[in-house]
Amino acid sequence: MTLVDPGLGTQEQRVIDAALRCIARWGIGKTTLDDVAREASCSRATIYRLFPGGKDALLGAITRTELHRFFGGLARTFEEAGNLEDLLVGGVLYASRAITGHEALQFVLAYEPEVVLPKVAFRQADRVLSAVSTFAAPYLAPHVGADDAPRMAEWVARLVLTYTLAPADGVDVGNEESVRRLVRTFVLPGLVTPRAVEVERVP
Amino acid sequence: MEAGYACVARYGLAKTTVEDVARESRLSRATLYRYFPGGRDQLLRDVIAWETGRFFGRLAEAVAGAPDFPSLLEEALLFAHRAVEEHEVLQKVLQTEPERLLPQLTVESQRILVLIRRFLVPYLEREELRPGVEPEEAADYVARMLLSFIGNQGRWDLTDPAQVAELVRTELLAGVLASTRRDL
Repeated sequence: MTLVDPGLGTQEQRVIDAALRCIARWGIGKTTLDDVAREASCSRATIYRLFPGGKDALLGAITRTELHRFFGGLARTFEEAGNLEDLLVGGVLYASRAITGHEALQFVLAYEPEVVLPKVAFRQADRVLSAVSTFAAPYLAPHVGADDAPRMAEWVARLVLTYTLAPADGVDVGNEESVRRLVRTFVLPGLVTPRAVEVERVP
Repeated sequence: MEAGYACVARYGLAKTTVEDVARESRLSRATLYRYFPGGRDQLLRDVIAWETGRFFGRLAEAVAGAPDFPSLLEEALLFAHRAVEEHEVLQKVLQTEPERLLPQLTVESQRILVLIRRFLVPYLEREELRPGVEPEEAADYVARMLLSFIGNQGRWDLTDPAQVAELVRTELLAGVLASTRRDL
């Protein structure tokens, strides 16, 4: 999982956006390169030139671009947060909305779960959890210390995953008030160790 | 169900047929289709649900004697983590045909969440909770965290009782119980 800017040109980006619209409509299995070409108003040959290897190469590029977009947005959310609570609430809200609002991802989860789930379940979840916690830890460290930051980031990633994949009756992770209550009720009391409080007080 | 499970253990999900299960259970195909009008797909779905139910039944039994609520969750995590690792059929299917198992297991997990929540509520009703925390919402939160950690231990070592105790007292219960100290 790379956080490096895929460095795409506008043509590549246009094809990727077109492919995402196709997947949101028909899924990964039924989307053909002809569909994508038509949607992007370009030729099949152009797609092959931009993504040598065809559909698999295109799917790989889509994954990298979408992850890059996701982590870029998450970084901006973290940078805007003034304190630990806002950082956690903002992060959960951003990630949850990114997942539930991603039409292509939602189509695949609903109709082609066999494509996604093997990459994120049981031991494979390591990749997701460690990518998120490695990324988020530096933002959390000033508030909770460098030792606890990765652990906390993983904890919050688990919350996002469980509430987006299995929606709850009383918790809406797309709603700020609901997320704030969740964070205040269950997360902050487990974080506010003496050291965390001390660090928070330092101007 | 037992015959179906034995066939999955032997041949995997993709290759198990209704004939295999008929032979294993010494029932006729016609009888099996009477029980499972949806045929192979329904049979396999039911076998997965059956074994998942058995797994959590064993888990509930394993923790029944715990002296207090935090200890119950510790024992649950230790037991379930080990049971997943040592579950040969589960591990084999996860390795060879996760795409057939996981969509089904994800559907199951909704039902499992409800079961764990119902299991936890009576315990939470006996505990002193932090002000403003309701047993139902706490049960839902704890059930989700349990399932998450049973699926993947992440940075924690869930074979180490000391780490499990710390995990339970921080991430699972710090926001739930009025006190998570041991010396009560």
